[in-house]
Amino acid sequence: MVDAFAYVPAIVVLPFVSFLVALAFGKYLPKGGAFGGIAATAGSFLLSLWVLATVAGGGQHTETLYTWVSTDGIAAGIGPQEIELTFGVLIDPLSALMLVIVTLIATLVHVFSLGYMNDEGERDLPRYYAGLGLFTASMLGFVVADNLLMAFMFFELVGLCSYLLIGFHFREPGPPSAAKKAFLVTRFGDYFFLIGVVAVFATFGTASFVGSESFPVLAEHALNGEFDAWTPFGLDVGTWFTAVGLLVLGGAIGKSAQFPLHTWLPDAMEGPTPVSALIHAATMVAAGVYLVARMYGFYVLTPTTMAIIAFVGGFTALFAATMGLVKEELKQVLAYSTISQYGYMMLALGAGGYVAAVFHLMTHAFFKALLFLGAGAVIIAMHHEENMWEMGGLKEKLPVTYWTFVAGSLALAGIFPFAGFWSKDEILYEALVHGLNEPLLLGAWAMGLLAVPVTAFYTFRMVFLTFHGEPRTDTARDPHPIRWNVKGPLTVLGVLAVVSGAVNMVPVQKVLGLEGIDFLHLWLDGHYGGFSELTSHHYADLGPYSSGYIAGGEIPTVLIGAGVSLALALGGLGLAWKLYNVPEPAEHTAALGGIKTVLYNNYYQDELQVRIAQVTAGVASVADTFDQGVIDGVVNGVSSVSLVSGDRIRRVQTGVVTHYAALLTLGVTGLILVLGVLGGWFL
Amino acid sequence: MVAPEYYLLLAAAVFCIGLFGVLTRRNALYFLMSVELMLNAANINFVAFSSYYGDLTGQVFALFVIALAAAEVAIGIGIILVLYRNFGVTDVTVPREMRW
Repeated sequence: MVDAFAYVPAIVVLPFVSFLVALAFGKYLPKGGAFGGIAATAGSFLLSLWVLATVAGGGQHTETLYTWVSTDGIAAGIGPQEIELTFGVLIDPLSALMLVIVTLIATLVHVFSLGYMNDEGERDLPRYYAGLGLFTASMLGFVVADNLLMAFMFFELVGLCSYLLIGFHFREPGPPSAAKKAFLVTRFGDYFFLIGVVAVFATFGTASFVGSESFPVLAEHALNGEFDAWTPFGLDVGTWFTAVGLLVLGGAIGKSAQFPLHTWLPDAMEGPTPVSALIHAATMVAAGVYLVARMYGFYVLTPTTMAIIAFVGGFTALFAATMGLVKEELKQVLAYSTISQYGYMMLALGAGGYVAAVFHLMTHAFFKALLFLGAGAVIIAMHHEENMWEMGGLKEKLPVTYWTFVAGSLALAGIFPFAGFWSKDEILYEALVHGLNEPLLLGAWAMGLLAVPVTAFYTFRMVFLTFHGEPRTDTARDPHPIRWNVKGPLTVLGVLAVVSGAVNMVPVQKVLGLEGIDFLHLWLDGHYGGFSELTSHHYADLGPYSSGYIAGGEIPTVLIGAGVSLALALGGLGLAWKLYNVPEPAEHTAALGGIKTVLYNNYYQDELQVRIAQVTAGVASVADTFDQGVIDGVVNGVSSVSLVSGDRIRRVQTGVVTHYAALLTLGVTGLILVLGVLGGWFL
Repeated sequence: MVAPEYYLLLAAAVFCIGLFGVLTRRNALYFLMSVELMLNAANINFVAFSSYYGDLTGQVFALFVIALAAAEVAIGIGIILVLYRNFGVTDVTVPREMRW
């Protein structure tokens, strides 16, 4: 029997090969190298399914592929242990599931790009497909990484690719600026992540995710007093672990666009729409949440970190949702919904709902990719007009897009029985039952719950403005037709957005008492295959939370929680229906007055960050002077000394043959004299 | 038999005359003649030592040097010809372009 795990590196390498092929030969290939990308990602998808099936059959896998550096930590001055920097793969239920999600979305995005980029006559297609290939490869490398350092490297590669793709239309003024912003803001978070990686190495001497010598397990032993972890300044082990956790969390907050580092994400809409789908659903933004889930065994040990994650997540969920209320551009609304939804995932992770977070990561990947690709289809139809007030009445003209988009919107709004309902409900349930004894967590839960009607409202405001009512412009009356390569991916994702909640119907299981239908719980709990220290019940055992129930028990809590969130979602939907599902909708957001201006300007977050940046301008200018004066001065000085001395010395060359002959003679005479003196002829 | 010192003095004198010619003359044809003198100074030494040690190797070398001198003159005259065609003179201080 051939072992699926032997092919895990190929999952990463295939899209990388498509990157190289598109880069080198893209302009000679049909469609600018698109078919290579589709073939590579589809191949990775099939291999990932095989790996998933193998894990389902009771497999798990970890392997060190390459040892980069092996050094004595004491000699290097960074901690008490021997340190090895390695590259390896880790396949457990979490990474196997994520591999399938990423490769599936990447394949569909490649197919969709045929319609969005090739059919629209975009230029520089090889560069585009090369970027997509590298983006997918980096994310897959991040997913299979078996240690924090390797994860960090691929994390950075993901950031680089997002820069390249957001700035794809670099001839226009907006995209390069957005690309720089995305790169700088996420880099700011990654800076803390890097320090965190070094801190993990210094503390534990390893950054491995799995095994008895992995850093989450060692941290557990250190807290029990069974392992002597190194800490700086004589800090308490728990305090130090909290600090390390927060440092690494900096990277996750930057990439997953959590408050206050969320500002890059709406600007990232400048990139081509399929890229937005890839960034938001499967790759870049998912990386932050995945990172926290990957090293969850470390985070659950420190209650402070957990509370901070939950609170930041809950706050971001509500905060971003309110900004989505007033946006006029289709993709902007989706951007804020992405920030908000990742806020929910962070809330779930912080609230101890590991399975709920992974569940929402999965369902969100499907319905958000669907919504972005649907938005892409609308943008094709509208000749690249993105303002929703210029649309309207597209329902009859684009039936496939409409129905799939509605399915995605119902999932996003959390309406029963679409995928988003199950995952969002489980997050809120986890936050509630764990939060009854934790006031901070309860606050995060309340913000998450408040975000539910807001989400439903802005989602359906978007749907009604785009598809319902009377067409408001000539373009909306006569939209551009879309082809199979757009409809195909939409249909696949539309089906998934409807049914993927079925893998984890926990409320049904709890209320009806049906055992074994919460497949995702069993999956992540290692019932099929996996490592015992990476299972959800292991995390629950370590976690700081105890469960409390309202209304006298588990089942009423489940029912009340689900009922309340569904009622709130329906309320938001109903309000949107009433206000915007009319032939000629008005700009009701104007009634908000000054609040609208604040919301429309994103709470002046961008301005605030610019102000903060200006405060540091003094430091930057000193650094610049130092760089220009001292560093560049030394380099320029060396070169000018060479230049000047060369200029002087070359004057020895006169071009007159006689002079050279004279110099030769003098040289030989001089040599003979020297040898003679040294040899003692004249003594 | 003449003592080798005299031969060496003669050779040194001939060599110095050749060297003086190379360093002071401007006409390339004088150059060739001067180089010829220097080569023959070396030949005198070869033959003198060959005779002194009774070993024929030196004389063989002298023959080689004569052949080499003939080849050198052939090439040298070719170069002077090109020089004259390009500059109209055989003065070696005129062409100075082959520098920085």
